[in-house]
Amino acid sequence: MFNGKILWIGVLAFEIFLCSSAFAHTPLCSCYDNGDGTVTCEGGFSDGSSAAGVEMRVEDQNGKILIKGKMDADSEFSFDKPSGPYKVIFNAGEGHVVEIDGKEIVE
Amino acid sequence: MKKVIVVLAGWMLLALTEPAMAHFQMIYTPDMALEKTKTIDLKLVFTHPFEAGHTMDMGKPEQYFVVCKGKKTDLLPTLKPITWTSLTNSGLAYETTFKLRGMGDNVFCLVPSPYYEKEEDCYIQQITKMIVNTVGFPTDWDAEIGLPAEIVPLDKPYALWTGNVFRGIVKGDGKSVPFAEIEVEYINHQPLSDKNAFATKAEVKAPQDAFVTMTIKANENGEFAFGIPKAGWWGFCALGVGPAKEHNGKEMSQDAVIWVQARDMK
Repeated sequence: MFNGKILWIGVLAFEIFLCSSAFAHTPLCSCYDNGDGTVTCEGGFSDGSSAAGVEMRVEDQNGKILIKGKMDADSEFSFDKPSGPYKVIFNAGEGHVVEIDGKEIVE
Repeated sequence: MKKVIVVLAGWMLLALTEPAMAHFQMIYTPDMALEKTKTIDLKLVFTHPFEAGHTMDMGKPEQYFVVCKGKKTDLLPTLKPITWTSLTNSGLAYETTFKLRGMGDNVFCLVPSPYYEKEEDCYIQQITKMIVNTVGFPTDWDAEIGLPAEIVPLDKPYALWTGNVFRGIVKGDGKSVPFAEIEVEYINHQPLSDKNAFATKAEVKAPQDAFVTMTIKANENGEFAFGIPKAGWWGFCALGVGPAKEHNGKEMSQDAVIWVQARDMK
C-alpha cells in the first residue's frame, strides 16, 4: 500500500519532469527529395536535442498509413516517395507533432 | 622647438580626425534564419558598409568553407568573381550559391587574401564568419571553428530581436584576447543582390563620426556585449587579434569578423 503510493508519486513526478522539459522546446522536422525516388526527413528539437526514435508516418490524403517507422540514431528517416499525394507526420507525442505536406518536399 | 611640436601635434590630430570608416569583409545573404531549406545566394564583398563607401578589390580568397554538424565542406571552387558597386566606386568581389540541406547551422567561413592598404602601407586580412540557420534547429552556431582570428558567439547571430544584446568572445590563435578592440558597423545601405550594388538610400544618419564605426572593447576575458538598436545587419570586427602580424615584409592586421542580423518584434 505504502510502496504503491510512493511508486505512484514517483510516476507522477517523472511525468511532470517529462512535461516541463517538453514545454521548453518545439519539435522540428524538415524533409527533402533526394531526386532518386526517395525522401529524407530530419528531425530534432529547438533546444538542439536529438529526435532519435521518434515515430514517423507517411500517410495518403485520406489519412491511410502508407509507411511507418522511426527516426534513426542520426535523427533521420528515409522512405520511398509515394506515387500519389502524401504527407509526413513527425510524432513526438501530444503537442509535439509536425505535419509536412508532400507538395512542399522538393529537391 | 615648441612650435614644431605644436605643428606635429596638429598634423597628428588631423590624421586622426579623418572619417573613421572601417573596412569590413562581408559574407552577405538576405536572410540568416530560414524557415525551409533552399539554395541561397551569397556575396563576398570587402567594403565600408555604413557609408556604402569605397569597395576594395578582393584577391582570390585563401579559404572559403562551411561547417555544418561539425563537418567542413570546401566551397572555394564555387566562387565566381563579380564587380560590386558602392556609392563611390566599384570593386572586385565574389558571389556564390549554396544548397542548404536538412536542419541546422551553416557556419560560412572566409579567409580572404591579405589586402594591401596603400594609405596605411600595411595589409589587412579579415577572417569572417556568417551563420545561416534552417528550420530553427541549433547545431554549430556556438562552435569554435579554430580560425586564426575568430569571434565565438555567445548569442545566436541569426536569432536576435531588435534591442537584444549580442555577445561574443574574441579569440586569437585559439586564446581569448583581453581588452580586444572591436569595431561595430551597421549595413546602412541595403545590399541589392540582383544588382551587385548598395542601395543609395541610407537607413539612418549618424549624428557624428563616432556613430559610423562604433568602437567597443572586450573585457579582460575577451568577451564583449553590444545592444542592437536597429533591425538589420551588424558587423563586428576585432582588430589585429590573429597571430600573423606581417605579410610581404609589411605590417598586417589579421582581424576577426562576425555578422549578426536583428529583426523587429512585430
